[in-house]
Amino acid sequence: MTVTAPGSGAAARVRAPGSFLAVYRLMLRNQVTAGRLVAVGALGVLGLLLGAAVAASTPVDPVDAGTTLIDHYGFQVLVPVVALVFASSTLGDLVDDRTLVYLWLRPVSRLTVAAAASLAAFTVCLPAVAVPLVLAAALTGGGPALVGGTAVAALVGVVGYVGLFSALGMRFRRALVWGLVYILLWEGFVANASRTASRLSLRAYTRSVLSEYTGVGLDQASLPFAAAIAVPVVLGLVLVLYTGHRLRHTDVD
Amino acid sequence: MIEVDGVSKWFGDVVAVSEVSFSLGAGVTALLGPNGAGKSTMLRLLCGLLPPDRGTLRVLGRDPRTDLGVLRHIGLVPQQETVFDSQDALDFVRLAAVMHGVEGPDAAARAALATVELDPDDRRRLATYSRGMRQRVKVAQAIVHDPWVIVLDEPLTGLDPRQRRHMTELFHALGDQGRCVIVSSHVLDEVERFGSDVLVIAQGRLAAEGDFRAIRDLMDDRPHRLRIRTDQPHRVAGHLLAAGTIMGIEMVDDDTVLVETTDVGAFRRSVAGVARQVDAHLWEVVPLDDDLDSVFRYLVGRP
Repeated sequence: MTVTAPGSGAAARVRAPGSFLAVYRLMLRNQVTAGRLVAVGALGVLGLLLGAAVAASTPVDPVDAGTTLIDHYGFQVLVPVVALVFASSTLGDLVDDRTLVYLWLRPVSRLTVAAAASLAAFTVCLPAVAVPLVLAAALTGGGPALVGGTAVAALVGVVGYVGLFSALGMRFRRALVWGLVYILLWEGFVANASRTASRLSLRAYTRSVLSEYTGVGLDQASLPFAAAIAVPVVLGLVLVLYTGHRLRHTDVD
Repeated sequence: MIEVDGVSKWFGDVVAVSEVSFSLGAGVTALLGPNGAGKSTMLRLLCGLLPPDRGTLRVLGRDPRTDLGVLRHIGLVPQQETVFDSQDALDFVRLAAVMHGVEGPDAAARAALATVELDPDDRRRLATYSRGMRQRVKVAQAIVHDPWVIVLDEPLTGLDPRQRRHMTELFHALGDQGRCVIVSSHVLDEVERFGSDVLVIAQGRLAAEGDFRAIRDLMDDRPHRLRIRTDQPHRVAGHLLAAGTIMGIEMVDDDTVLVETTDVGAFRRSVAGVARQVDAHLWEVVPLDDDLDSVFRYLVGRP
């Protein structure tokens, strides 16, 4: 073992190339558990079955029927729930099982850790929701507009929800519960009550994207397309910054 | 290397660490105290995992809470057993090496694992490791980057006697290389093996500090209470009192007496002889306050 002199009194700049990738890989490995894969796979299969069921019912307007299905199942249930499961656990699990110390006690920017963790959650969530939803949209016979709208809305939604729930996992011990409260109570009820409240609901943005593509009118889907794309993405990025801030100031077990 | 000045930390109404000051240089220092004394909180403060509520704390002249750079020179073995169960030992230690910016992280991780006598090519997940093996992996990740300050929270927990000896030798070797090694323990005999400087912490306060032998003498010199069961408690206790071996007597019942002495050695040497002298049957001699908690209570309570 070699001994090297410690840095000077001034805060030395620490270079740890590869840290982002190392944390990213760790988070991916931590998140992908058999139980979660089975649960998410089941939700995806359910989406496909629903898409097939819509097609089998030979609706008068397949675009309308398909858009309604994707909105109700995809953006009310699948996207937020899957993002909640993976994103809230990405750092939240480390807090709960007290392994956060092994990342915190390294001379690596907290933002690097937060960004790597959020990207890992995004990497898992995107295919887990986009693939079954796009396939379900195609199965309904809603056409390329529905498929394209589903893909773009899923992408935008995953960015926003992952940022939100990653931050929630860092902020609260029972993030899963708080996340469900947000999805069920806020997005399910409160956001329907007023236009202002709906602006604070990510679902309004994913709906607006879907509605823009398909031309089907949906509740709360009145946001301009550019805002519907930009707000969730910016929110997701800002919340990654917040997660890094929380990480920097958190008490570590 | 470590300067702690008037540091206090409380959690709600509970004071975990109170007005603690000390400084440490190179070598091994043991942080001794009963469970719940504030040892782990003190170590977390030293590593910057918690901010102090009062006082200042410097490691290598820098604040470990706010100065990321100083973390390059700190290695910690935390008390908790949990590690990243999805990883194997090599990946776990290599992650630490990468995040510390170690050149050749793979070779460094292998060397650190070899130092704690673990096989770097054992690719089983850490979830399958025994408690002792996990403990050694935790030590490996704490030393992989050659830190100057090594903080070990109950590092011998779960190790077999041979591994305990090996780890103790490793800590001494690190101290001899000029590193500051601070090891916490609630086991007096364990600390004795470190044969080092000691900080005694009890009820969140620094109760004593200095050479272990001096503190051990201090502990031995305190008043000890013992229970004697004999068929003639009055006569045995009376003779011991007359000889100046004990300084207090409390009769409990017909065959039991509690005595107090400041010289346990002299008491042990003379009690059997006194019993023979008065023709008494000695059934039981039991020290009542040899547990660590009472030792620490004495240290905290002394002037």
